[in-house]
Amino acid sequence: MRKYFHIFKISFEEELAYKWNFILWRFRNVLQIFLTYFLWSTVYSDPTRQIFGYDRTEILTYVFGIMIVRALVLSAKAMSVGNDVASGDLSNYLVKPMNYFKYWMTRDIASKALNLIFASVEFAVLFIILKPPFFFQKDFGVILAFLVSIILAMLIYFLILFLLGSIPFWVPEIGWGSHFLVTVVIVEALSGSLFPINILPEVLQSIILATPFPYLIYFPVQVYLGNITGWALFGGLLIAISWVGVLWTFLNVVWQKGLKVYQSFGG
Amino acid sequence: MMSVNSFSVVLGQKYALIIFLTGKIFRFSFFFLFIYFLLKGTGQIAGYSSDQIIFFFLTFNIIEVVTQFLFREVYKFRSMIIKGDFDLVLVKPVNSLFRVLMGGADIIDLITIPPLVILTVIYGISFHPALAEVLIYLALLMNGFLIATAFHITILAFAIITLEIDHAVMIYRDITSLGKFPVDIYKEPLKGLLTYLVPVGIMVGLPAKAIMGLITPVGIIIAILIGVLSMFFALRFWNFALTKYTSASS
Repeated sequence: MRKYFHIFKISFEEELAYKWNFILWRFRNVLQIFLTYFLWSTVYSDPTRQIFGYDRTEILTYVFGIMIVRALVLSAKAMSVGNDVASGDLSNYLVKPMNYFKYWMTRDIASKALNLIFASVEFAVLFIILKPPFFFQKDFGVILAFLVSIILAMLIYFLILFLLGSIPFWVPEIGWGSHFLVTVVIVEALSGSLFPINILPEVLQSIILATPFPYLIYFPVQVYLGNITGWALFGGLLIAISWVGVLWTFLNVVWQKGLKVYQSFGG
Repeated sequence: MMSVNSFSVVLGQKYALIIFLTGKIFRFSFFFLFIYFLLKGTGQIAGYSSDQIIFFFLTFNIIEVVTQFLFREVYKFRSMIIKGDFDLVLVKPVNSLFRVLMGGADIIDLITIPPLVILTVIYGISFHPALAEVLIYLALLMNGFLIATAFHITILAFAIITLEIDHAVMIYRDITSLGKFPVDIYKEPLKGLLTYLVPVGIMVGLPAKAIMGLITPVGIIIAILIGVLSMFFALRFWNFALTKYTSASS
């Protein structure tokens, strides 16, 4: 446990060592929020307007909620696993007395902690500047369910990243390509980080909700807003847990097979 | 010749080509679907109809895809600076700015340009523009490319001075992506900033407005003036940055 604490500390300091890199990354996050915020603010310029089942307060809470949930779920260092595999650096970790999964999980937690701090400051500053109507959830049970959904989202994303990181075991040259397709394109589109999934037609919603992606952003924010309650909440959490189980099992099989074909190029 | 080499490299990695092409098509299609369903529910945004908003989005994409196709080499400039490989560019009898700006066109973006142009023409025709409006649209589109070129030259110059380019180019893309929708949706001071300081409105929004007949002669003159000035200052900045190049690692 002690060594993972040190990994956490070092990871935290490493992020801060490249200050400009980190600050510019956070600045990019704010820019992305601007488009979403002003778009929805214009759509709901009439405070009494209700479209897609949302009013102005709910939709702008959704947008601001994305900031925090993104910082917690999508900030992850495990993106570099594919590089380790492709470059042969994985060998350096395999011979060390530590668990490779726990190593990256610890680094992810450090990254999430730092991003959460910055996202909270950005949240406060934008809140003061834009003065959006915001829905503060007061129901303790809902907040608890929201926290559980966030933990599940973090696990799902971690497992997706590790699965993507396993692809270079077989095809080293498409490491970045697969990340682009899944984390830059598919996650951005299907997770609900641009818009709530339920503005789409029912058929499309059903297809998207059958994938793990909406459980990263859309589902936790909906839980916070209190739009998913009772059996629907229970069912949603169960689906998210199932995805964790499926992805974890699949990753174990893929990782073991990957290690058998691993040739430590350049390592 | 440089573009042919670049195409050969990408075509040699078929899996990567398929993945990136799929990703780009999926991203475009999904955002297109989002705008379609959003406007189906709202009817209009900031006074613009569904077709008008889609036309803004298509014009934004034309400028973005063409600039990415032409200027892909910019994304590789940092490693050239850090390793000192830029020395090899400077000593060759070819314009160094041309080499680092347009030395590696991207075939993946080239593939997506024809269907995008066809879609833009289809939507553009639906506004029944006069010939003059079409010509002004094309002129302002060229002006948009000029501003985009100026941005990329500025980013290259920054890379020489600060070694920071990866984030700079992504910030450029994040800022221009605010032009996916007409800048009228933003509030002041952001709207003013996007119109004059970082002229996304002029680069992307103004050509689209020209087709819709929503532009004044003064607007056209200001737009072209900003385009020419931005290019002038970008080139001056590039020449200044070259004097600061220290040939690190070489």
